[in-house]
Amino acid sequence: MNIVVLVKQIPDPAGPQELNADHTLKREGKLILDESDSYGVEIALQLRESAGGGDVTLVSMAPNGETSGLRTALAMGADDAILVGDDALPGAAALTTAKVLAGAIGRKQYDLVIGAVESSDGYVGVVPAMIAELLGLPSLTFAKKIDIDGSVIRIERQTEAGYDEVEGALPALVSVTAGVVEPRYPSFKGIMAAKKKPLEQVTVADLGVSVPGFNGNEEVTSVEDAPARAAGEKIEDDGTAFERIVAFLDEQKVL
Amino acid sequence: MRFAFDDDQIDLRDAVRGLLADTCPPETVRTAWSNSTGRSDAAWGALADMGVVSMALPVDAGGLGLGALDWVLVLEETGRVALPEPVVETAVVGAPLLHALGCDVPAPPASIATLLDSGASLYADTAECLVVLDGDALRMVDPSTARLTAEVSVDRSRRLFAVEMAAGAGTVVATGPQARDAVAAARDRGALAAAAQLIGLAERMLATTVEYVSVRHQFGKPVGAQQALKHKLADVAVAIEFARPLVYRAAWSLDAGDPDSAVHVSMAKSQASDAAELAARHALQCHGAIGYSYECDLHLFMKRAWCLARSWGDARSHRDRVAAAVVDA
Repeated sequence: MNIVVLVKQIPDPAGPQELNADHTLKREGKLILDESDSYGVEIALQLRESAGGGDVTLVSMAPNGETSGLRTALAMGADDAILVGDDALPGAAALTTAKVLAGAIGRKQYDLVIGAVESSDGYVGVVPAMIAELLGLPSLTFAKKIDIDGSVIRIERQTEAGYDEVEGALPALVSVTAGVVEPRYPSFKGIMAAKKKPLEQVTVADLGVSVPGFNGNEEVTSVEDAPARAAGEKIEDDGTAFERIVAFLDEQKVL
Repeated sequence: MRFAFDDDQIDLRDAVRGLLADTCPPETVRTAWSNSTGRSDAAWGALADMGVVSMALPVDAGGLGLGALDWVLVLEETGRVALPEPVVETAVVGAPLLHALGCDVPAPPASIATLLDSGASLYADTAECLVVLDGDALRMVDPSTARLTAEVSVDRSRRLFAVEMAAGAGTVVATGPQARDAVAAARDRGALAAAAQLIGLAERMLATTVEYVSVRHQFGKPVGAQQALKHKLADVAVAIEFARPLVYRAAWSLDAGDPDSAVHVSMAKSQASDAAELAARHALQCHGAIGYSYECDLHLFMKRAWCLARSWGDARSHRDRVAAAVVDA
């Protein structure tokens, strides 16, 4: 079973996040594998193992030829990777990103495309569905469980109330939620082998993709800091504080 | 000449750092203080799966053929989280020692206990095998055939045992000069590994303390704004940065077979021990009263540092070795 996994390499969320003057995220320096993509990599490895063979290919788009995050996923056990890097791509809007990634996916023979529900730095959350549309694939989203049965894929689609059972025909695209599986730690052997695995670097021109201006119709006009959390209310206990607590909990409809 | 770690070495360190962040938070160390083994539940198995436990064995013996320069950063990470596991004794000391003498090395996740000096053996009760220097003979002993008596350690996750064996117990794996040379090399690896752990511990105590003095306010400002605390913590940072290059240099010397590698190991262990003890002392003082409490995590790291500073030779004995080498030269 050949599986393509979409992975994003992002600035380490543990570090300070800074924006450029045009409100795009600064992506200088080392980028890491988006944790939300590690679930997709893990489920792909498990599906390949249970299918008894095949390749897991990573597809990523990143500036500066950055490969650190891809190496992490290769160390986990993925077989090869395609990295799209192009000086024109920074700041690409969701549709542009989807077209570029769809073009890169098209270079491989695949049965399944797996992506995260959304990235941990952009949180746009529409790229997987766009790619499915561009590639003409059934789009199965928010999967918390995946089963493959011959040429049929069944997922449990996470909903607010529980989950829906959704079925589609392969090839298909699935977006997976965090927690679908526990990602493995890369082994030392895997880390050392990752350097030798094929990693193809391509440009937009190589993919033959035409995009209508990289920013599409999107423009971020301003950015505001999230409002600071308001200070709580302090009550001096004169023996009746419990009444205020009860009233507060009642207001919050907790009682 | 550029002396820096390569990408692989950094990646291995980062992988271990990530694993230990998940499997060895302070609660794990705290639990090891009172559980039956003194060890973590999940961290050791995960480290074995990752390849850490067999990392220093050659590839044809099921290991990864990593040298000291490769594992020194890994050991630093195990120190940073005060990992309650025999990673020094098993991965860096025992396994390569047994392999070098042509013995079968217990497969991970089995652990190895060592007794290469007078004193006590760490985690001997849960080890698959015990390597003991008995006079001029090196013996491999099944711990279940030895009489193990628990000894008190200030760090209660370090379970120490006095070992009594019947005469002639176990298998002799080396004698005379062969045993002496193998044990000397193993002790140097142990001292270097402990030094690396002490660097990690010192950094952890410094980071924890900087965080604490930044949030603890008194007289309307963080206590860390006072020079009395700033200077203490700056001294700790300087001590760590002076010790660290000695640790990395000693790792290089061991790998390169430098004739002075033993002296370099002693320089590293003495300075790392001093740096960690200074970090512990100043961290405790800067924390104030809360630092003395059992509930505050600081003591987990502090007591580990005290123990490791005295393991594999204390600062003074290593300085004596450096002095002796200088005088001989």
